[in-house]
Amino acid sequence: MKRIVKWMAGPIAFMGALFTAATAQAEPVTLEIWTIDRADQYIYLLKDEFEKAHPDIKLNLKTIEFRNMVNDLARAAATGEGPDVTYIDNPEVALFASRGLLLDLTPMIAESKIVKKDDIFPGPLASVTWDGKIYGLPRGANTIALYYNVDMFKAKGLDPDKPPRTWDELYEAAKKLTDPAKNVYGLAFSAVATEEGTFQFLPWLQMTGGDYDKVDTEGGVKVLEAWGKLLDEKLASPDTLIRGQYDSFATFNAGNAAMAISGPWELPRMATDAKFDYRATLLPVPHDGAPRASALGEGDNVILANSKHPKEAFILLEWLHSKMPEVWNRFGFLPASKVQVDNPQSPEIYAVFEESMKYARNRGPHPEWPKISKAIYTAIQSSLTHQSDPKTALGAAQKQIDAVLGK
Amino acid sequence: MQGIIRTIRDGSGFDILLLLLALVYLVAFSAFPIIYNIIMSLQTVDMFTIASFDRPFVGLKNYYDILSQPLASTIFWNTVKFVVLSIVFQLSIGFGLALFFQQDFPGATWLRGLFLAGWIMPALVVGAIWKWLLAGDFGVINYILMSSGVTDERIFWLSDPDVALYAVIIANVWLGIPFNMLLLSVGLAGIPRDVYEAAELDGAGAFERFRSITLPLMRAQLGAVISLGVIFTLQQFDLIAALTQGGPANSSNVAQYWSWQLSFQTYEISLGSAVSVMMILFVIVVAAVYVRSTHHEHSY
Repeated sequence: MKRIVKWMAGPIAFMGALFTAATAQAEPVTLEIWTIDRADQYIYLLKDEFEKAHPDIKLNLKTIEFRNMVNDLARAAATGEGPDVTYIDNPEVALFASRGLLLDLTPMIAESKIVKKDDIFPGPLASVTWDGKIYGLPRGANTIALYYNVDMFKAKGLDPDKPPRTWDELYEAAKKLTDPAKNVYGLAFSAVATEEGTFQFLPWLQMTGGDYDKVDTEGGVKVLEAWGKLLDEKLASPDTLIRGQYDSFATFNAGNAAMAISGPWELPRMATDAKFDYRATLLPVPHDGAPRASALGEGDNVILANSKHPKEAFILLEWLHSKMPEVWNRFGFLPASKVQVDNPQSPEIYAVFEESMKYARNRGPHPEWPKISKAIYTAIQSSLTHQSDPKTALGAAQKQIDAVLGK
Repeated sequence: MQGIIRTIRDGSGFDILLLLLALVYLVAFSAFPIIYNIIMSLQTVDMFTIASFDRPFVGLKNYYDILSQPLASTIFWNTVKFVVLSIVFQLSIGFGLALFFQQDFPGATWLRGLFLAGWIMPALVVGAIWKWLLAGDFGVINYILMSSGVTDERIFWLSDPDVALYAVIIANVWLGIPFNMLLLSVGLAGIPRDVYEAAELDGAGAFERFRSITLPLMRAQLGAVISLGVIFTLQQFDLIAALTQGGPANSSNVAQYWSWQLSFQTYEISLGSAVSVMMILFVIVVAAVYVRSTHHEHSY
């Protein structure tokens, strides 16, 4: 008996020690995180850093495909099985916030030493704001600009230091650069029947004074006529109608388009794919002196209203926000708040996008954004395929948008 | 108690047990979703009310909304073209191939098996491959057509609104041929050789034999293949998703894809349900034809 006691004393003492150690350190909190990132992107790269900085919080990541995110989140919200923190695309924040599914961060931000509301740029701030309250923090921002192939500019006698500034100049340049014999189109962009088509169209509309709630304008007709001319004269591929931005831009990288409209997310891929000298410039305006506009993209980190660990979730959001100075070089996002970016990669292109951000406008916000977006890209498509003229197409879109807006 | 066990073992109880199993399965996996779908088509449903039954009842308003959209008639005629053309070509080419492989030549059964490769592949993969073949600027088909001098201009198969629907139909025909061929081959193999021999002795030519023996005796199989073809074509979703997503400007959009777009792109789930309920009604009619034609299978 004595022997047994002695024999067991060691392990028991050991377990006791373990137990006290565990209780002293408190159980670490595990946050469930949904993201659209792949294993080499944003949150995956930051996970270890965060867990090292906050050993009492563990992150459990789950990747959802971008196009399934809204569906999956809505289903999770309906059944109460959602994550603590998730990514949401800008125009969808209002959809969830208006239904009370997101945590109102306003009081937490007011007390935060890291996040300062006034530092966040107005566009990104508007995208996370619904009914005067802030429901998320932008993880970064992006916008679109005009990329061009310097080698092709030189070959066709165009001055690469004077890229097109107006729509007319863009058309002229596209015409000169188009070379069917070499399979080169002047311009690559996207008029696809998805959110991406709306995303590329809105800045053009906004430069003429319109917006998502006012598409039935003379300016809107002018945009569709300009786009129609590019397609009808084959200065842009007819496949512009069915290609998203990523696929359209691939033709630019492959040397099959001399100019392309897209965002900074293309830069990492260009570094390996584009075997030519390229630059970027601001999106051309309707005429000299016209106001500028650009699209505002990227997504936000939000906390679900029924999260059991809102405090820890906000610590994560704050910490991610503090990484803003690094997002350009590490993830290809533009900063969404006033920060100093040291030694940006591709400094000239960074400067273009940084300026472009000043004109970047949010889509919406509106809780039924997908319907508004659909009305807009449907009008684009029916006009570019000549099923209806621009005025009729935009008129039909306006009717649908008014119905959604309750006008 | 013993009586129950006995009837289950070798009486009518066993029949009832089998019937119950099948019924439970059908109710759980077919009837419930269909009824649920019909209920949703009579309510206002979006993504956030999908988990509860307690939703505003709106009667036939969703059907009215759907049918009064200008898009409805475009979609209807696209769907008719998609189904009719797909079936006509799948069936005629499939039947032709079945007759061809019915001939005795070395490797016939082998090659017939290989034809099934297309049928086995997921429609999404088939769609991705056809997307390459049909690509406007760099597609294989355009290259062949242009280098052989058939056309001078590129055909933008997937982005030209006058062509896109036919591009999808071509891919769907290709996908459906092996299935048609296989089912019809089985039917052909079931026709007794001696009927043909007798006809040949009576002096009937090849065409006459086909018209008066093959076609009438294949009636049941043809009916079955056509009805299944209609049902499968109305279910064809992945191919459209991979090729055109119904575009450009809805020129290749069909009812089943529209239903999905309404439900999961703009979250008008009740409208999407209304479209699918109308499709179900049509499919029930087709299924009745199918059941009738298989009913005749033992008639000869």
